[in-house]
Amino acid sequence: MPRVALELSGVARHYGEVRAVDGVDLVVPPGRTLALLGPSGCGKSTLLRVVAGLEPPDAGSLRMDGRDLSGVPPQRRGVGMVFQDYALFPHLSLKDNVAFGLVERGWSRNEREARVRELLDVMGLTGLERRRPQALSGGQQQRVALARALAPRPALLLLDEPLSNLDRTLRDELMDELAELLGELDVQAIHVTHDQNEAFALADRVAVMHDGRIVQEGTPDELVEAPRSAWMARFLGLRELIPAGQAKELGFAGTTLLRVERLRPDPDGHVFEVQRVHRVGTDLELALTSPQWGLSVRWQARPRELREPPEPGDTIRLRVPDDAWTVLEVEG
Amino acid sequence: MLPGARLVGVRLSPGRLGGLLASLFLALLLIVPLVAVVARGLGAEPLATARELATDPFLRERLGLTLLQATLSTVLTVAIGLPGALAFARWSFPGKRILRALFTVPFVMPSVVAGAGFLALLGPGGALGVDLMDTLTLVLLAHVFYNHAVVVRMVGGFLESAAPRLRDAAATLGAGPLRTTLRVTLPLAAPAILAAAALVFVFCFTSFGVILILAPGGAWDTLEVEIYRSVARLLRLDTAAALALLQLVVAMAAGGVYTALQARAAVPLGGAGPLPRPGRGGRWLLALTLAPPALLTAAPLVALAIRSVVPPGAEGISWIGWRAAFAPSGLLGVVSAWDATWNSLRFAGASGLVATVVGTALAYAVVRADWRFLDRASLLPLATSAVTLGLGFLLAWPALTGTFWGLALAHALIGTPFVTRAVLPSLRGIPPSRSAAAAVLGAGPWRRALRVDLPALVPGLIGGAGFAVAVSLGEFGAALVLSRPELATLPIAIYQRLGRPGAENYAAALVLALLLMALTAMIMALLDRLGGPGEI
Repeated sequence: MPRVALELSGVARHYGEVRAVDGVDLVVPPGRTLALLGPSGCGKSTLLRVVAGLEPPDAGSLRMDGRDLSGVPPQRRGVGMVFQDYALFPHLSLKDNVAFGLVERGWSRNEREARVRELLDVMGLTGLERRRPQALSGGQQQRVALARALAPRPALLLLDEPLSNLDRTLRDELMDELAELLGELDVQAIHVTHDQNEAFALADRVAVMHDGRIVQEGTPDELVEAPRSAWMARFLGLRELIPAGQAKELGFAGTTLLRVERLRPDPDGHVFEVQRVHRVGTDLELALTSPQWGLSVRWQARPRELREPPEPGDTIRLRVPDDAWTVLEVEG
Repeated sequence: MLPGARLVGVRLSPGRLGGLLASLFLALLLIVPLVAVVARGLGAEPLATARELATDPFLRERLGLTLLQATLSTVLTVAIGLPGALAFARWSFPGKRILRALFTVPFVMPSVVAGAGFLALLGPGGALGVDLMDTLTLVLLAHVFYNHAVVVRMVGGFLESAAPRLRDAAATLGAGPLRTTLRVTLPLAAPAILAAAALVFVFCFTSFGVILILAPGGAWDTLEVEIYRSVARLLRLDTAAALALLQLVVAMAAGGVYTALQARAAVPLGGAGPLPRPGRGGRWLLALTLAPPALLTAAPLVALAIRSVVPPGAEGISWIGWRAAFAPSGLLGVVSAWDATWNSLRFAGASGLVATVVGTALAYAVVRADWRFLDRASLLPLATSAVTLGLGFLLAWPALTGTFWGLALAHALIGTPFVTRAVLPSLRGIPPSRSAAAAVLGAGPWRRALRVDLPALVPGLIGGAGFAVAVSLGEFGAALVLSRPELATLPIAIYQRLGRPGAENYAAALVLALLLMALTAMIMALLDRLGGPGEI
């Protein structure tokens, strides 16, 4: 598969007063997959549409392999796109949907047939050629949309929340399948998603968007290890945040994250009081308070780690290593 | 079925009583008259009559000309309406809402007003100085004016809900705007286009008021007009019934095509999305596609207004039309604007009320008692032409002819489908659990209908009732057959004036048309503020 470098600088897209995309700089090196991760309404889908050429940027520029894309309409950008609602053509059969882009690019009938057969085979859709999209299940529609986008061998594949329309079980199943498939076909892709697991599973690098800007970019490990703001930490599900005022009393410079997953039982550890206990799957979750620090935290443990199941009112000693504290935002 | 979807132990529920009421209403006022028409049309020896009908040269000529006129009208209407529909579905642009509203005007405009408008524009002494009266051109123009909104709304609305995302998909697959239109937009819209064409065909095939006013010479008489002439002038009810039968067959066939395609065109495609602004080339294309229909819509209305104060031959502004229109009735046998307005309002009020009650009862029967056949049957009054209905009343219920309730019930029948279509979606939208909750709290079926359903139905009810009232205000064919002079409504008064010589009568007709237009517009504006019309 061909590889391209994509370079965005200062890209902005406004709708009246709303700044959907507000000055995005981003470099995707050749061959790397990227996930654009963010809550709904953060502008990630708009950014993807700008990359596809479906919306013009109000400011900034896009380059693909050094070539300026401004003024290049979507039909001449050579990108493929999988839409959130799939946007399959209801008047065409499954086969004709997949062949649509091949017709536009002037492939011969034989070439088209061969390519369509190849893709349907990979996607496990053989035998459904004559079906209309309406007669397919959600998972099948998703695969048709993917096959249609991949058929003309695009240099870059754009996926706009391709899994969000599916129910949870199917989503987990298809996420693995999609990751495997894209790896197998060696496709360079940009995923847009609001689901952290999806982003981490499908992409080498993740760019997190918030209010039209990219707030942090890196590998999944880098993001989780070193979130750059309280918002980032909360968005990634790291929830034990100590507000700046309280953190200062404890001797930290600003808003501080306590990584509760690094707390371990230790006879010489810090004393916590148990408030409530309940099961979360196979784990136990304990609501704890620290009288000395004036903190309330929730901590999860394997039942086997604890000598006996604690009850409300008990005390428990946990070692809090120094690297469990991360100062996120230094004030002043 | 979920508990509460249909509660047990109910004997005469609102749904069943509604079903009985609506069935009785439709049976007595629609089925019996239609059967009377068919029976009279076929006569004692149906087979012989059918053969006669098929070979009668006069009937064949009438049928042929009507088909020709309706086909030409339909092709032209689609040709003018389709580019507009595509443009509406393609772009968002300033003034779109106003233009959309303007395009709705002919949709709700009484046919007599449309006729009067084109008369003022292109008739004898018309504002443009060209007399096209009695020509096919004028009939076609009026039909395009009257119907292109059907195409714009049906096709444009369908594409707007489906096409934006699919066009995006086509673009990322390498198709430019022209290729996308050819390979995606048009194939997608085909069922909607054909459905709209079938509907327009039925309207033009059974055209009445427009023909009577713009081609009074008779060269382009539709079957509908011929039915009226047979009844009114010659009292040949056999011929009228035979013509009505012929018309019914063609109209029902086209109606069937419409229903079948409409169901396909209504498949939700879920491809809606924000529409882009047109680029420089797009702006030219937009102006080019939308200017002709916009002009065609506005011109007759402007001509109507101008000619009502500047009648042909008058030097400057003259109020003779206004004075004549409001002069007391009886002078020279014409009805005054006051009386005609009063009559129109009386008929609209009475028929609107009946239509609202029956239409709601029918919707209740369909949704709550699961009387599905009524869902289809409720559309029948729309498929029956007004003059045919009048003829049916004449044959089946002669005692009702010329009475207030005769025409009021005919109008109620025509208005009922609008109420039903408006109420159905709201009623279907009420979750069964809500009724169940009220039942558990102690409300019986009637109390539930009153305290739970009715409040949710009000917006739909207002919309449907308003539509029924507007339809009654503009109805012409049935009124012409069933009315008598003292009961003349505004459309009748307009036609009366147009049939009399002199600039005074001509201007008075236009004044009355303006009045009718204003009344209808007021109803529609009120509707727009209180709640939208439903499924139609």
